Amino acid sequence: MFFLDLRHKTFLFSIIVNVLLIEINPFAPASTPISLGYIAAYLKSEGFTVKILPVGQDTPMSCSGLHRLIASFQPALVGMSAYQRTMLYVIGIAGLIKSIDGNIKIAIGGPQATFMPSAAFAELPDIDYICRSSGEVTLLRIARAIDNGTPFSDLAGLSCKTTDGAVFDTAELEGFADLDSYPSPYLDGVFDHSRMREAIMLTSRGCPHNCIYCYTPSAFKHRVSFHSIDRVMEEIKWIRKKGVRRLWFADPNISFKPSRSIELLERILAEDLDVEMWLQTRADLVTAALMKKMRRAGVSTIAFGLESASERVLERLGKHISTEKVAEAISLAQSEDIEVELFTMFGLPFEAFEDAVETLEFVKKNNVKIMGNTNSQQMQIYFGTDLARHYKDYNIGQLNNNRPAYISIGSQYETEHMSHEEIRKIQGLWRAHSLDRGRRIVS
Amino acid sequence: MGSSDRRKRATEPVVRNNTMTKPALQKIYVILGKRDKSQLEGLCRTLSGHFSYVNMTSNLYLVAESLPDGMPQVERIQKDVGKFLEGNLFARLYVHFVHRVPHMTMNEIDFYYQYYYKNWKRTTRAFDQEGYMHQEVPRLMLLPVIVPDAHAEPDSIKGLLDALKGSFLPPSLYLDTATFFLAQDERLLSSTEKIYYGTGNSREMTDIVCNLNHQDILDDSSSRLESENPLMTDPCPAALILSAQDGAVYPCMDAFCKKNSLADIHGKLSADTIMDRYSEHGKSKRGCLACRERVAASFADLPVPEETRHEIGALLYHLGTLHQEAEEHAQAISNYKKSLELSPVEEAGPVYFRLGLGYTKAGRYDEAIEAFKMAEPAYHGQYYFHFYTGLCCFEKGDYRVALERFSKAVDLEPQLEDLVAILIYMGTCHNSLCEYEEALVPLERAKKAAGHSKEISSALGFAYFKLKDYDRAIENLGRAVEIDPYSAIDYASLGSNYRERGDVNTAIAMYEKALALDPSITSARENLEKLKGKP
Repeated sequence: MFFLDLRHKTFLFSIIVNVLLIEINPFAPASTPISLGYIAAYLKSEGFTVKILPVGQDTPMSCSGLHRLIASFQPALVGMSAYQRTMLYVIGIAGLIKSIDGNIKIAIGGPQATFMPSAAFAELPDIDYICRSSGEVTLLRIARAIDNGTPFSDLAGLSCKTTDGAVFDTAELEGFADLDSYPSPYLDGVFDHSRMREAIMLTSRGCPHNCIYCYTPSAFKHRVSFHSIDRVMEEIKWIRKKGVRRLWFADPNISFKPSRSIELLERILAEDLDVEMWLQTRADLVTAALMKKMRRAGVSTIAFGLESASERVLERLGKHISTEKVAEAISLAQSEDIEVELFTMFGLPFEAFEDAVETLEFVKKNNVKIMGNTNSQQMQIYFGTDLARHYKDYNIGQLNNNRPAYISIGSQYETEHMSHEEIRKIQGLWRAHSLDRGRRIVS
Repeated sequence: MGSSDRRKRATEPVVRNNTMTKPALQKIYVILGKRDKSQLEGLCRTLSGHFSYVNMTSNLYLVAESLPDGMPQVERIQKDVGKFLEGNLFARLYVHFVHRVPHMTMNEIDFYYQYYYKNWKRTTRAFDQEGYMHQEVPRLMLLPVIVPDAHAEPDSIKGLLDALKGSFLPPSLYLDTATFFLAQDERLLSSTEKIYYGTGNSREMTDIVCNLNHQDILDDSSSRLESENPLMTDPCPAALILSAQDGAVYPCMDAFCKKNSLADIHGKLSADTIMDRYSEHGKSKRGCLACRERVAASFADLPVPEETRHEIGALLYHLGTLHQEAEEHAQAISNYKKSLELSPVEEAGPVYFRLGLGYTKAGRYDEAIEAFKMAEPAYHGQYYFHFYTGLCCFEKGDYRVALERFSKAVDLEPQLEDLVAILIYMGTCHNSLCEYEEALVPLERAKKAAGHSKEISSALGFAYFKLKDYDRAIENLGRAVEIDPYSAIDYASLGSNYRERGDVNTAIAMYEKALALDPSITSARENLEKLKGKP
């Protein structure tokens, strides 16, 4: 087990509580927990002692190891990232922590928590807070409340369950519009660079679009906020100094502001930083000039969201992009020798089996290797999406009505146009064409 | 809290150390015994005591003589596994039940399936349901590993595998020299989750456990190889072996083979104490690299799939480079040769080049030249390739060919440091061929590029001496002893130059200095005696 250790500032007359942040994903190797890194850096700047425990499939962790960590670090607050796939593990770890010390408060945040119904508390006996707003400011409120000895007072941006079992939904809490207001997890030494093979960057947050299957626009209220290029450059230079060359940009659309992207790439070139970059953006946000610059600056792979190659299906997804545009973007990237990854899904609303096959054929025809992120996956219906709210309007039928309240429909559905069996069949077809047996990198 | 307390708390690395010293067990191998209730209870007590040390996702291999013998024991152990998983929702356990399957008819196979496996599968219903609810693979997976009889009928085995697969009991096969023929049957492979390979044809449970573990070590080594910094000297994933046969607990396969146990299964030691001993054993482990190498070599001769053969080839190549770095050239050569047998032709270039280097370091220059010839298509554009080929020719005394190679290396614009070394070798080749004028060209170029170095000055001194330009020879040799005041041979050369210039006293002084530093220089002694007038 390894973790990232943050030491708090010395405050003369107060004891500041310890905060443990856990990111657990037993289905993929541990990576740089960028979101928790931001929260850690922010709490650290406010005087808290924070540890981050990233647990992946390659991280040795046992009950007794976790027990020892809790017993020696003695956190007053544990924050955990929650995803649909990891809920069982989040609940399990919460149970173990509470069995060690029932006074430790536990908060969950992240994509699964933001729009999770408060009724889920009934099935989450060990969870005290469900965070719904910006992680940094929400968790700071909780940490301060615990530090003051009143863990359920003066809170915002979350739902909570008090010691006597009462559930409260608090008012929303706005995060900073200028991302530079958050301390940098890199520059503040949050991450252990000695084990870092690839640095995950987050230069912007949010998305203004309206794709019906995506949670991001609702979570960020269709707004996009940015770091300044100066700040991003400062981080990249720090990362390079530490010997890490590969950068993975988690921004939903890195080229949302083309002039900003150009400036970033030009500065990387001017500083001769010799980096290798992975990034993702919309196919209608790239040009030949931008792609040339990307290649020169070190972009090795670019990922576009295609979702479906059927224009009829695409139209209903609210993505407002054409397959022609995607093909053009692929060609631009390939002409610059940039590897292309395409995000696609099957089991989409109004998608027939033949449409799904058309998507597979599109990927093949455009010479995109079916491996890693190009391995298609069944659409997941997550909390907070238009689909989750109005699934019946999209002629989607649930396969399981008895799932726990903390789990969304996910993949347990069939559509009017595609049966469960057909969904399995198209999944098999993709797998048969995959070069790496269908192993995705990003989920 | 006072400020000094806070300071102490802010610097102590307590958590990091504690969490690092206790391993998380990724595999537990259990050799089941006879159907003895009290023995089984003792085994279950020790085994379940270690569950709090298993990794978040871990594997439990239960190895039995036969299905009828093993199933009651497996079911008993599984009760403890279920209890542990129910209490720890973040844990996943894959239970592999390894047992022999005798030669059977289809009817007998059907009975096996209905009577044993179907009942076994029923025990996981709650976990299957939980997996369905959470849209994930169940946390408890039952994975039969079939060890077929040497006379097994592929059709019967296929029937069993299909039935298991259809019941969500993904089956694997354990094949050894007696049953490798089954791996040729594509239909069987399509019904199999994984094939484990056993060396030899022993059906002893201890041998089966060793081979299962070896396969894991091989998989671990191969996956490390894919990482940027493969640490092959690190221990393999933490494992524990419990043998009901001898009633002992072992910390790794190496210890199991050497019978170095940690504790008695039926003894009074707690799991915590056993794990403390485990940690101590981990710290004292030294032979992990050798173990990985032994395992890779043992798989090299098995009829494993081509992809695995290539992986083993790449692994042996990497292990060869580690030996080469440690100056263990014989082992490096042996690994490279084995690697060549396993690697695809298109990847053979680097292996041949490394093999050539190994032979060079071992002084086997003819073999080195042969290996370099094979590497030439992949390396002909690399200056260092021509340098090393030239070096072998130089060492063999084939100075003319060596010069050709060195010239080629220089044409390919090597790095400055390497350029200087190559030029010195070229100068030395010419000196050896008595081409002293020609020797001056590369040596003066080396001097211009790198300034004075002992080697350049010595070689120049020699060439000028042979050209009877004693002043220049003395100037260069003087520089050589300035750089290295302990260079006896350069003092001796200075002596000869002063002698030829007629400065007998200085010549005597130089010879004496040379002999003081190295009394074994015969020519200096003889020249000194001549100058002093002795017979």
